[in-house]
Amino acid sequence: MHVIGIDVGGTNTDAALINEEWEVMGIAKTPTDHGNILASTKSALEEVLAYHKDNAFVQLHLSTTLTTNAIVEGRGEPAAVVAIPGPGMNLAAFDFDFPVYLVQGYVDHRGRVVADICSEEVLNAAKKARADGAQALAIVGKFSQRNNSLELAAKKLIVEAGLGFSQITLGHQLSGRLNFPRRIMSAYLNASVAGIQKEFAAMIGQLKADNPILTDVRILKADGGTMGLAESCARPVETILSGPAASIMAAQALSQYTDENIVVVDIGGTTTDIAAIVGGEALYQRNGAVIGSYQTLVPALYTVSIGLGGDSEVHINDGQIRLGPQRAGKAAALGGTKLTPTDAAVALGLAELGECSKAIEALKQRAHGKFDTWEGLAKAIVDVFAFQLSAAIDEVYQRLENVPVYTVSEILAPPDIRPKAIVGLGAPARVFIPLAAEQLDLPWEVLPYHASSNGIGAAAARPTVALTLHIDTEQELMVIPELGVRTNINRGLLFDQKQARQIAVEQTAAYAQKLGLTDYGLIQIVEEETFNLVREFYTVGRIFNLRAQIRPGVQRVR
Amino acid sequence: MLKAERSVGLIFFPAFDWCITPDHPEREERLLYTRDQILEEGLLDIPGIYEYRPCVADDNHIQRAHICVPSVAKTVTKPHRIAVGGTMLAADLVLDGKVGCAFALLRPPGHHANRVVHGSRGFCTVNNEAIMVEHMRHRLGPGVRIAIVDTDAHHADGTQDIFYNDPGILHISLHQDGRTLYPGTGFISERGGPAAYGQTINIPLPPGTGDQGMLYVMENLVTPILAEWQPDYIINAAGQDNHYSDPLTNMNFSANGYARLTEMLNPDIVVLEGGYSIEGALPYVNVGIILALAGLDYSHLREPDWKPDALRQPQNVMPIVQSVVAQVKQQWETRLQEDRQEIFGKARFYVRERPIFYDTDQIVEKQYERIRLCPHCSGWREIYSHAAGGRIRRTKVAIVIVPWLACRSCRQEAMDDYRRLAGLAEFDQVFYHSCEEDVYLCTPDHHDPLTL
Ligand SMILES: [Zn+2]
Ligand SMILES: [Zn+2]
Repeated sequence: MHVIGIDVGGTNTDAALINEEWEVMGIAKTPTDHGNILASTKSALEEVLAYHKDNAFVQLHLSTTLTTNAIVEGRGEPAAVVAIPGPGMNLAAFDFDFPVYLVQGYVDHRGRVVADICSEEVLNAAKKARADGAQALAIVGKFSQRNNSLELAAKKLIVEAGLGFSQITLGHQLSGRLNFPRRIMSAYLNASVAGIQKEFAAMIGQLKADNPILTDVRILKADGGTMGLAESCARPVETILSGPAASIMAAQALSQYTDENIVVVDIGGTTTDIAAIVGGEALYQRNGAVIGSYQTLVPALYTVSIGLGGDSEVHINDGQIRLGPQRAGKAAALGGTKLTPTDAAVALGLAELGECSKAIEALKQRAHGKFDTWEGLAKAIVDVFAFQLSAAIDEVYQRLENVPVYTVSEILAPPDIRPKAIVGLGAPARVFIPLAAEQLDLPWEVLPYHASSNGIGAAAARPTVALTLHIDTEQELMVIPELGVRTNINRGLLFDQKQARQIAVEQTAAYAQKLGLTDYGLIQIVEEETFNLVREFYTVGRIFNLRAQIRPGVQRVR
Repeated sequence: MLKAERSVGLIFFPAFDWCITPDHPEREERLLYTRDQILEEGLLDIPGIYEYRPCVADDNHIQRAHICVPSVAKTVTKPHRIAVGGTMLAADLVLDGKVGCAFALLRPPGHHANRVVHGSRGFCTVNNEAIMVEHMRHRLGPGVRIAIVDTDAHHADGTQDIFYNDPGILHISLHQDGRTLYPGTGFISERGGPAAYGQTINIPLPPGTGDQGMLYVMENLVTPILAEWQPDYIINAAGQDNHYSDPLTNMNFSANGYARLTEMLNPDIVVLEGGYSIEGALPYVNVGIILALAGLDYSHLREPDWKPDALRQPQNVMPIVQSVVAQVKQQWETRLQEDRQEIFGKARFYVRERPIFYDTDQIVEKQYERIRLCPHCSGWREIYSHAAGGRIRRTKVAIVIVPWLACRSCRQEAMDDYRRLAGLAEFDQVFYHSCEEDVYLCTPDHHDPLTL
């Protein structure tokens, strides 16, 4: 079976066809039709299918800006949240830019219901939301990932009342992580974009039906993994920011560095994205993706975007050059009006693009004082680019190394995350990556297909699934919020860590199977805590917090 | 958009892999529910609330506030060094202007640790606040005025010991009356040494004191004293065992009361001390303190089992609180008029002798201390300390301390005394510490009694 990866980005659509041997058979790059993501997908598919010479079946991996744009441009369905906060932070202070209706009910940190919901109040809130224009609804309770019963009860009431919501998202299903405001925002966004994703999934389903060689369609997620079409309709919010993830997956798929720590640098026109790979695995955002003004719990790869790129503005003050963070426009060599770092590279013969003479002319106009020759200025601009980039990389790692940790052992023996190599992507990478690498004293690699590799990244992505397991043996309870599991465990005091791990792995495997996944990698325990509960000098139970996931593998591509 | 009114640096370090013993109140579980509540409330996402990773303090930092016998390495564990480092970081963040205020929400605690450390007492080995204060003075110079307000239910006897003759420090401890609770000290009559008389202020509160009594003390005593003394920095040693649900004490404060206290005190740096109602109090009190520091609305905060009627103070409490406040206020107002010669004598030295019990490590220490009554400075001092019991051998040490802003003759006398003592066979070790010069000497160096 072959895989086609398509990334419908903001400007361009990248596509790649990969064969059984995981060789790149062909890539395509077309401008994105912003208003019509389906058309962009279709034309990219068509182009790349030109390389498809046999009758092998094809799996399609699709990354689009559909949900991202809908959120950023506020084009989602009108949605509202019924929140069950209990005491604590004043929720009104968060000033959400969507309607939130507060109802009573209270779950504490151990997942115990302190106060129940009031049926009438919940129904009134939902009716009010509907009357105020909400078509989709999210129901989110504080600590609902420890006890989902209030969310479930509220949903039952609202569904039975037949209020006509197109979609009801429950907070606990999206994430087992602690963070009530983020859970509210995630659930709201999920409810809001569900309709759009459903519509798109139907069209892609049709596309698949029309192209019998397409066996399966997978949608890319912000964590660099894939999920099925049906799953993408239930958890559409997880498809945000899949483009940047595709670029990191491409780096992992193509780099000669397989298991080492590397820094991935994707240099674009306006911005440069920096990502960290540690021991062959991309780092995740600590809490979740941030999109526009929304902080979510959506698992996402860690990237830092800086305002530095091939088209950055060049500032010269008192013999000091500073680049960005604004974009100057297209390079003078390409007919732009302002000098850009790209022009400096073109003038010096480091890159071939547009007209070299125009680049030199732009440099001459700015060559004064300390930089009184165009060559001197060009050289200085290129050096400053490399300096700003290497400083930004250093800062990213300093920040990562200072991420708070909660155990003595982590403070005393922090893992070595520093990169052993710098891996570059993007059109200007060939010029600037070697120079930045020199500053950082690291070996470097500019990837093949570096100017349009996101299609390869999409093709190389594999399924990911993650579960949170919370076991409280004093209450004899086991909770897996993502699956809606809340069951009793027997003989709690005899329960141990080994059993907890085993349950986490089994449940993750079962979940993967339920989703129809077969080609997934190892299941690993990525977070684990155990606490003895001592009351009045006796151990009365233990708390286990585990997070298990399918190892977010990437298919290596040649 | 929600934003902190004042930025808060949070050094949160729950030490999830450290305990004194598995069933001790200072165990891994202590800040688990606090962590859960802070994360679930989303506090760390609020712009202006920034979380930092603690650093590890080294011997030199600890020796600025302590004489550790036989050495820092033998008495202080890595978790303690992290708690100290985190507390110092809180001060650095404020001093560097990176945040408006900081909260070292970490364990193990420290306020029962005295200047001389033979082991652990009251769950404490080294004094986080005291080491931080010395760190601040080394950054800011000897003239800085620092007020420490300890709101733990237990008397802050360790902090009091370290600063009791220090004119640069105002130490106020609010606590449950020492006649009813460990460590059994902290009476109104304990007012400080000859050079800082009146700057040790103890406010013993009757069991049952709730928000009402505590706020009365804040409004009528603590706030006016601070306004008059005008510290450059206010530090709150924020123990949370005054909470109504605390298993070790008999007080009646609520999470909301603690938040109100924090708001009234407006501290620059808050350091967690005790508090062992790990499920019913700490998650809510800590959220309350963070919200209050950030200037955010805490009015919706209350405990699951909070009931207004149950928390009303017993009838007899308020008159006692009012009487304590009146007495302490009277003492404060007359502190400068009192005849210090009458209190501390006319001799060259003021002498005090006392036993110190280390409940955690079962050590008994006997101290003989003499302070030079110097007309020019706060006076050098000499401490003889005998310790035995628990896991330590019988130990006898002598200590010479030169205070901040010491006069020339005190420096000289102290150094002469150190040389004399170091020559005597009587002591296992002799220590010398000069605060301002940051000089720490020990004879014999890194002495290990086990090898004798
Ligand atoms: Zn205490
Ligand atoms: Zn003197």
